[in-house]
Amino acid sequence: MSRESVLGERGADWLRTMVRIRRFEETLADLHRSGELVGVVHLSIGQEATAVGICSSLRAGDQITSTHRGHHHMLARGLEPRRMYAEILGRAGGYCGGKGGSMHVSSFSEGAVGANGIVGGGIAHAVGLALAAQTLGKQSVAVAFFGDGAANQGVLFESLNLAALWQVPVLFVCENNGYTEFTPTDAVTAGGSIFARAATFGLPAEAVDGDDVISVHRAADEVLARARNGGGPAFIECRTNRWRGHHEGEESYARPYREPPKPPDPLDRLEEAMAAAGLDAAPLRSRIELEERALVAESLAAARAEPEPETSRAFEDVFA
Amino acid sequence: MSAVEVPSQAKRLAPALADAISQSMRDDPRVIVWGEDVRIGVMGPTRGLVDEFGPERVVDCPISEAAFVGAAVGAAVGGLRPVVDIMFSSFAYVAFDQLVNQAGRLRYMTGGQLAVPLVVVGSAGAAGSNAAQHSEVPSALFLQAGGLRVVFPSTPHQAFWLMRAAIESEDPVVVLHHPALGAARGSVSPEPLGLGDAEVDPVGTDVSVFATGLMAQRARAAARSLEPEGISVEVVDVCSLSPMPWDAILGSVEKTGRAVVVDEGRLTCSVASEIAAGLAERAFGALRTGIRRLAVPDVPIPFAPNLEQAVIPDENDIAAAAREIVRG
Repeated sequence: MSRESVLGERGADWLRTMVRIRRFEETLADLHRSGELVGVVHLSIGQEATAVGICSSLRAGDQITSTHRGHHHMLARGLEPRRMYAEILGRAGGYCGGKGGSMHVSSFSEGAVGANGIVGGGIAHAVGLALAAQTLGKQSVAVAFFGDGAANQGVLFESLNLAALWQVPVLFVCENNGYTEFTPTDAVTAGGSIFARAATFGLPAEAVDGDDVISVHRAADEVLARARNGGGPAFIECRTNRWRGHHEGEESYARPYREPPKPPDPLDRLEEAMAAAGLDAAPLRSRIELEERALVAESLAAARAEPEPETSRAFEDVFA
Repeated sequence: MSAVEVPSQAKRLAPALADAISQSMRDDPRVIVWGEDVRIGVMGPTRGLVDEFGPERVVDCPISEAAFVGAAVGAAVGGLRPVVDIMFSSFAYVAFDQLVNQAGRLRYMTGGQLAVPLVVVGSAGAAGSNAAQHSEVPSALFLQAGGLRVVFPSTPHQAFWLMRAAIESEDPVVVLHHPALGAARGSVSPEPLGLGDAEVDPVGTDVSVFATGLMAQRARAAARSLEPEGISVEVVDVCSLSPMPWDAILGSVEKTGRAVVVDEGRLTCSVASEIAAGLAERAFGALRTGIRRLAVPDVPIPFAPNLEQAVIPDENDIAAAAREIVRG
């Protein structure tokens, strides 16, 4: 499919989801600054195209595992902003009843096994989810999202080995945003290429421009179609940029680490690509901005109106 | 599920575990076995399974504890019921994030959305000079982890029924088995045993001895050796550590008024400490004398046979402690 026709078919949805993620997270930054949002929150602003490009290739029944920086994955997977806010604000109506918070948003029934607070913690889960799907005769796939930091965790390589041996339908997505928490990834990563490490296990591995939603989507579509037909695992390194710090509020002890990066905003890049494809992008963007800002505001208001969880909930769900 | 077929002949402990796994595999196609050298079945619980179920359901893994336990967590969430043989339970330290922070947390932190019906089985305890990294009983660590069920059978009967219960559980369960109990034969009775149960044998009146695994066998031997002295020992085999069978534990001390708690783990923050603390808190009025803990001192397990024996409570230590608190 040509770039123009892909944009015609999917561009508006992509733009809407990317705008939703951006405005959703900007609001979280405000809430953190005002003190309403407690705990540690890691924002994905700047990385929207990666989440949206991958998740727009998924179907009902597929599962994703995500990271401490995972709001964009969850929104791209289709989770509701209202229940996300409720979770992140510790309300009863949150996806996990307020027991997970920002780092553990999960909605199994909607194909998101969950975010994970441990770097690399969810990667092996995706291998097992893929094996379960294959064993139970489902056509579904599993996607493991993780960052460049997890590319230095042993469990990634153990998981790549298992997935390659078992030929299970799992896609490894390394979202390389250039920073391992506070440390530039280049300074702690030998060999110069993360996807090349994966390729040594004998599975298809490539790097794509993670800020270009079309490139991400095309790469994901190809390998996921192959995985659904028994073609086994694959690895995509999405090279993107983290615009904000490791977590909100870090300026209290850490120097701001850099200026907002160039090249420009993945949202603007998509809008420009749509305009170049002859689509009426500017008015569409304006309309989407209005609608998504309203949705985010309504969702936040609804989440704020939710009660706190009953205290008794603290003592439930340890065991079946 | 079809009726449970209890093994008809006397069994050793590890084959009783294998019997329970194979019956579960026959009953439920979602049960799958993987881990280190499970086709050979080095440690016993998976021996012979590949002959009946084939390499698709009995999967030899690379020595990647974090990934194969982690994959089992994902497979359990995704609808399978994996039984993972990790060989030595101290190899679980390599996979501790997956066991503790993942398997033990996913249900809770997702507000009950995710179930992790996973079994991790591994040997626990000293079996003759395997030294510090292959001889520990880490049950207290698994209890402190939270979110994990833990069982430690000392007889083939307990092994069969507790493994079945572990596979049927919707929670992650660690099944420990003692390598030194491999030779002990016993029959499996049709009377089922489940998570949260204890076995009281022998019944006694003067002193309660609480123990698991090899220590439970030694406690029974100590009880027999004290009979001629007129000391009646009740041995409470705490074969399920989580859930802890508190009713059985408290009930025994309410009867005898005396408690010796034996543990093959290290003393500090041991299972023995937990049981002793629970008794002090909840059965203080029934206690006629102080509680005695017998456990491995706070050292690793040494290699030399005489040193290994020196740090692990034996039948004589248990008998001496029981005699001492009965006679005062």
